[in-house]
Amino acid sequence: MMEQSSIDLWKPVKVVKLKIYRYNPKKDFSPKWKEYEIEVSRGTTILDALIRIKEEVDPSLSFRYSCGQALCGSCAMMVNGRQMLVCRTRVLEAAHNRDFVELRPLDNFPVIRDLAGDFTSFFEKHRAIKPWIIRRDFEELDNPTGEYKQTIEEYARYYQFTDCLKCGACYSACPTVATDHEYLGPQALAQAYRYMVDSRDDGLDERIAILDSDHGCWRCHFAASCSDVCPKYVDPAQGIQLLKKLIVRRKFGLKPHRPSDALPSKIGEVKRR
Amino acid sequence: MGEREYLEYYALNRRGVSGWFRMRGYTIERKLYALHRITGILIVLFMLPHFYSTGWHPGIWWDALLGIIVTFHVANGVRLTLLELLGAGIGKPLLVKKPFQRPVSIEGRQRYLLALTVLLFIVLAVIWSYYAVIVKPLMGG
Repeated sequence: MMEQSSIDLWKPVKVVKLKIYRYNPKKDFSPKWKEYEIEVSRGTTILDALIRIKEEVDPSLSFRYSCGQALCGSCAMMVNGRQMLVCRTRVLEAAHNRDFVELRPLDNFPVIRDLAGDFTSFFEKHRAIKPWIIRRDFEELDNPTGEYKQTIEEYARYYQFTDCLKCGACYSACPTVATDHEYLGPQALAQAYRYMVDSRDDGLDERIAILDSDHGCWRCHFAASCSDVCPKYVDPAQGIQLLKKLIVRRKFGLKPHRPSDALPSKIGEVKRR
Repeated sequence: MGEREYLEYYALNRRGVSGWFRMRGYTIERKLYALHRITGILIVLFMLPHFYSTGWHPGIWWDALLGIIVTFHVANGVRLTLLELLGAGIGKPLLVKKPFQRPVSIEGRQRYLLALTVLLFIVLAVIWSYYAVIVKPLMGG
């Protein structure tokens, strides 16, 4: 048996048809589908294929990308009807033994052109939940005397949610967003939870006023599609349910729950401030 | 649909109600979400004649169907209440993620709750159908 080398990864193995959504809202009356045939190897990602089409076949094709390694969250698209980061999805993986891949812009985002969506309202919703640490000790902030320390348990409460790229996959997959355009969406709600359980943060009640509203967290009914499509395994559905639990406990005057108290390791004692 | 609405429809790219029913490739929770919406709307539709006359009944088979719709909505509603207000089986945030980690909220203990819900629905639906189709006509409607 021949040993597989890394060069084999780039040897063309198949011709795949990319069916791409073409639409310029300023010019076109309605969207069109255009097909491009492209030779792919085992390692070709959809982003590689799109860049090659733009360079060699059709320079008018528009899409957004930046890092190409699933770190920036610019290139989320609908690949065969499912939200994915195209920079880390291989063409053959998406084609699934067939010979075509369908690419559309993300659902529920206004189209700027072709595959690029407009994220303005998405980012506005993220900003609305105050995604920063809110402190009340103004004296300490003006004249700092040391760091704000945390135990590993306190860190574990929110670490998972810090991986969010703001790629918009969860927002696009959410069935509630499809009909309620004012709804904050899974990304903003999960980020709200991330800041509310942070032991350094004092803005719990300030954020509850924003989240406990008509278009806030109570619109979520656990379709769990956000967690299903999240490319960084942030699990926004879990964040939103824990957020609701936190708000309910707060309303009944109970102590906020601490979801990660049962972690095995404790790194030293931390001086409370 | 006028020209302006037509252009807006494509430029805004909103899914609308069809977004509730895009279930292919997603997990079973999404299917339950869609069913919960449909059954909720159907129950509201039934309520309208029901308010007009509480004695109104749509007939034996429709009665059985209505019972099934209501029992699904109740069983799933209990599940959603436990999940949303108490966080039952939703799991804890992870500190270490494995490569290709599946979400804890989907693959975790919440799935047992889901299985229980479906079981509860089937039991209630069978009992109700038996009552509506067999017992009630024997008792004279």
